[in-house]
Amino acid sequence: MEGLVKLSFYSFTAASIALGAALVCYVVYAAGRIRLRQASLATSTGTTMTTTTAEFAPGPAAAGRFGTLLAWFALVFQGLAVLLRTIAAGRGPYSNMYEFSLAFIFAVLLVYLVFERLYEIKQLGPIVLAVAFGMSLYVWSLPTRMREVEGLNPALQNQPLMTVHVSTAILAYATFAVAFAAAVLYLIASRRQTRWLPSPDMLDDIGYRAVTIGFPMLALVLILGSIWAHQAWGSYWSWDPKETSALFTWLIYGIYLHTRSLRGWRGTRSAVILLIGFAAVIFTYYGNYFFGGMHAYGGVD
Amino acid sequence: MAELTARQRAAQRSPLEWVVDRVWRFFCSVRAAIYEIAILAVMVLAGTLRGSSVPEKIAEWFPFTRSIVDRWYDWDVFHSLPFTFMLALLSVAIAICTINRAPAIWRTIRFPTVTTTRGFLNGAEHSAEITHSVPASELSGAIQAALRQRRYRVLTATQGDEIHIYADQNRYAKLGTFPFHLALILILIGGIVGARYGFRENEFVIPEGATREVGHGTGLSVKLERFVDSWREDGTPQDYRSDLVIYENGKEVKRGTTRVNHPLTHGSLTFYQTSFGQAIALRIKDAEGRVVFDDAIPVGLYTSRTNPDAPAGLQQLPHVGKQINLITPAPTSALPEAGTIDLQSGEIFVQVRSLGPNADSSQMPPTAILRQGDIVELDGLQIEFIREKRFTLLQVASNPGMPIFWTAAIMMVGGLAITLYFPHRRIRGIVTALPDGTSSVKLAPLAKRDWSGQRNFFRVVGDLEAKLGVRAFVRGRPEHLEQAARA
Repeated sequence: MEGLVKLSFYSFTAASIALGAALVCYVVYAAGRIRLRQASLATSTGTTMTTTTAEFAPGPAAAGRFGTLLAWFALVFQGLAVLLRTIAAGRGPYSNMYEFSLAFIFAVLLVYLVFERLYEIKQLGPIVLAVAFGMSLYVWSLPTRMREVEGLNPALQNQPLMTVHVSTAILAYATFAVAFAAAVLYLIASRRQTRWLPSPDMLDDIGYRAVTIGFPMLALVLILGSIWAHQAWGSYWSWDPKETSALFTWLIYGIYLHTRSLRGWRGTRSAVILLIGFAAVIFTYYGNYFFGGMHAYGGVD
Repeated sequence: MAELTARQRAAQRSPLEWVVDRVWRFFCSVRAAIYEIAILAVMVLAGTLRGSSVPEKIAEWFPFTRSIVDRWYDWDVFHSLPFTFMLALLSVAIAICTINRAPAIWRTIRFPTVTTTRGFLNGAEHSAEITHSVPASELSGAIQAALRQRRYRVLTATQGDEIHIYADQNRYAKLGTFPFHLALILILIGGIVGARYGFRENEFVIPEGATREVGHGTGLSVKLERFVDSWREDGTPQDYRSDLVIYENGKEVKRGTTRVNHPLTHGSLTFYQTSFGQAIALRIKDAEGRVVFDDAIPVGLYTSRTNPDAPAGLQQLPHVGKQINLITPAPTSALPEAGTIDLQSGEIFVQVRSLGPNADSSQMPPTAILRQGDIVELDGLQIEFIREKRFTLLQVASNPGMPIFWTAAIMMVGGLAITLYFPHRRIRGIVTALPDGTSSVKLAPLAKRDWSGQRNFFRVVGDLEAKLGVRAFVRGRPEHLEQAARA
């Protein structure tokens, strides 16, 4: 038992290192070269003025290949960390912020790598992996006592519902992280003539695809959550801070979908909604820190 | 008679029609919906922050906001009239907006416009043009076959020497929006039905071995057979459960267990395990020796003024005009403070008060301290302390909105999946017969800024190129599909 918990932690350590290295590779791949352009201008007084402009250019393709390899490496080790933890605890790894974040990093990597394969582009990597790496650092900053496996509060003892409710939430948040990265890149790509970014239309589409996966999942999270709440707390909806902000996040992505389908919104306006949506995701994720409420199982005081 | 212009028709409308039209348009407006959601967002934020220390911090930093902050803490946002009003407004908007879209969606599915214009095809950002040596009818047949292979429905219309082609995919998936939006409204209806016709009893107490009526016209009563709790080594609760028997009009109808997270249900009734505690079993007889009470009194739900740390309980006996007050020893064995009643482990303190207008409040009510098995006479009542027991605290709720809720949940996820994963895709085109017996076609998707729709279109074009053995003159084909076509 103890051994498994330790092994899970070592796995996570390996994953964190691979993740950091992958992030560096992706950044090098996407914008590793800075091209300097010199322009000379002859002025009327007979002197020449030289101006230099800098622009990013794609780095070596090998960096991209390494990045992908390392990201798969991180995924495998992160998966191992989650799996060992699950075996050691005899339940899904969802009882405190340490366990929950382990699973979240895994989900972000998984969703990202699926999108990378589907669209055959690696430029989302720097942003999505930065989110995952940031989460990794956050896990390192948590008090070490949270790494130990503890028994569950009776209110959390509902295996099937807890596993489905929480893992769906994690996957939904992960897809929204990909949508967020696509939106950020879109806003850059549509404003600058760049050769280091995919076409804006494709980025717009990636954002949309990610939301079409995340939105129904978040709906499921809310429904499963209220069914569970009905069983454990005796009421479907209690306006608990976490459930309220999850509902709100869902509404924001609902606005995104409706403005696209009914008003034909694309591009910048859509991307801005995605940024707001992801801010709401972060707020929901950390919401139990600020507000307590009935989801305050995070184990952080 | 001349046709009426739109302006004249508008002028002829009655004021009522005008009002209905304006209201209808208000509810259909996406802009209004965004404002409604934005206002709700602010309210939700205010309601959520109310549960935190954020307003307090604001008041500390800006003392002049103190009165507003106090009112903020007092405002129960989610049960307030403005919030309910905004929710109702939004649901009406969802309903009307959805209804408003229905005719257009139905037309697109059943009676799409088959013919198109050269202007559309030439102006499209993405298009493909193929010239071939076969006659127009044969080329049209090949295109239709290629489209059908990619699961498109194909409709054609002949105009002179032109054949217009309209092809679409997943047209019925457009209907998925209706179950989804209906589900949103059903969830609200479910909530209203539950609140209006259901009930919730938060403190339903049954001592071990006792039977209690559920009430609320259910005709049900519940007996607690046994209460079991288990604890971990570190003192945290691991599990607790109540074994219950449910009787309907005196007949046993169900036997089962309720524990945290695993409530017991019977019909629309649900029994949740909430808490538990100690109860004192007493048998009380009146002066004539008739048993007036033979049950257990839960202690711990009240505290007494004299011993604030000690679990206390009370039981009214209205038919004899008395109330029994109980105090049990405090759990911590601290030294008794001055003025408190000193109780040893295993002892209980009993007091009999008179109820009603004749009660004499100037006289101290008679009291006694009992141990298990003791019998005492107090104020004309004979009280016997049978033994200590435990009680369970349940929550009993009836929610007739539950089936509505489940139906809505299924409709919601199903409707969403259909709408999002089966996008309605459309392709238009014109096949033209050329004077020399050959023919040409120009095709374009209705996929403005729809990357995956465009990709799908170029896949169809790729199929067609392979089938006819010619290269199409394309506009806007993505690079990787271009490479595939060249290969």
